[in-house]
Amino acid sequence: MRATSSKCLNASARVQSLTLAEPQNLPPASAQTVSATGHAAGQVLRHCVLSILVLAVLWGALTGWRADALIFGLPAILLGAMVPFLLPPASGFRLSLRGAIRFALWFAVQSVRGAVDVALRAFSPDMRLRPCFRTYPLNLPLGAPRITFINIITLLPGTLSAEINDDMVTVHMLDAHIELEPELAELETRIRALFALPQPPEHSS
Amino acid sequence: MQDVVAAVLITTGTVFFIAGTVGLLRFPDIFCRLHALTKADGLGLALIALGVAFLAATPGAVFRIVLIWFFVAAASATCGHLVARYARRSGAGVRHD
Repeated sequence: MRATSSKCLNASARVQSLTLAEPQNLPPASAQTVSATGHAAGQVLRHCVLSILVLAVLWGALTGWRADALIFGLPAILLGAMVPFLLPPASGFRLSLRGAIRFALWFAVQSVRGAVDVALRAFSPDMRLRPCFRTYPLNLPLGAPRITFINIITLLPGTLSAEINDDMVTVHMLDAHIELEPELAELETRIRALFALPQPPEHSS
Repeated sequence: MQDVVAAVLITTGTVFFIAGTVGLLRFPDIFCRLHALTKADGLGLALIALGVAFLAATPGAVFRIVLIWFFVAAASATCGHLVARYARRSGAGVRHD
């Protein structure tokens, strides 16, 4: 049942893309993007239902599951579920539960290390600061994995993501003597595990 | 017992907030100051939130506290990045002395 309905969706999406692409005589590249967006039409519904569910649970938890709060809650949930349509389309992502638990534990340790490090520097007489900027290539795919990577850099010990230029991130470091590459390579590996992305074969070199 | 754990967590969290503020005042330039704000205050908030969660003890309240921590952590990392980017592009972070 599920399989046939998804086939129907695919077929209708393809028809739609043909009718859209041919009369206007679009170049092949844009025809491809049209068919790709048509393909995702079934997913839009799924995302919509998912975001309504998540927002409903959040609202319920925030208001203590009071039924009369839904007078404001229902419009808020529906408006919230429409917000993604106003934003540029984001690529979907999957999370791995095992990766997420490991990531959370590792992240907790790292953020304590980072905070203790900066607190000791703040209280120490000479602060031992040797600030510098370094660049690091962004290898993770665009979207959630890359955004997570750039935000977590700021919470790691001694590093702060300062600027992104194309596929390079500029990192500000409190201490130029700390090695940047191994720390960020480890973060990258852990973010791949978190988002269930395949690990690149030769990263150890 | 719970009160003692909560008090220790909240006190430690406050120490990190003080460290972040001391860093903000003492560090030499805007980028180093951002390190102090994002990292030390982030852990300070996490510890205070954890301590309050011990006191609150209802699942709903704990859930709300976790939400607050998550959104503040995400916002502070993003704001830190935006401030640093602005400072780099406009040259505001460069000291001329």
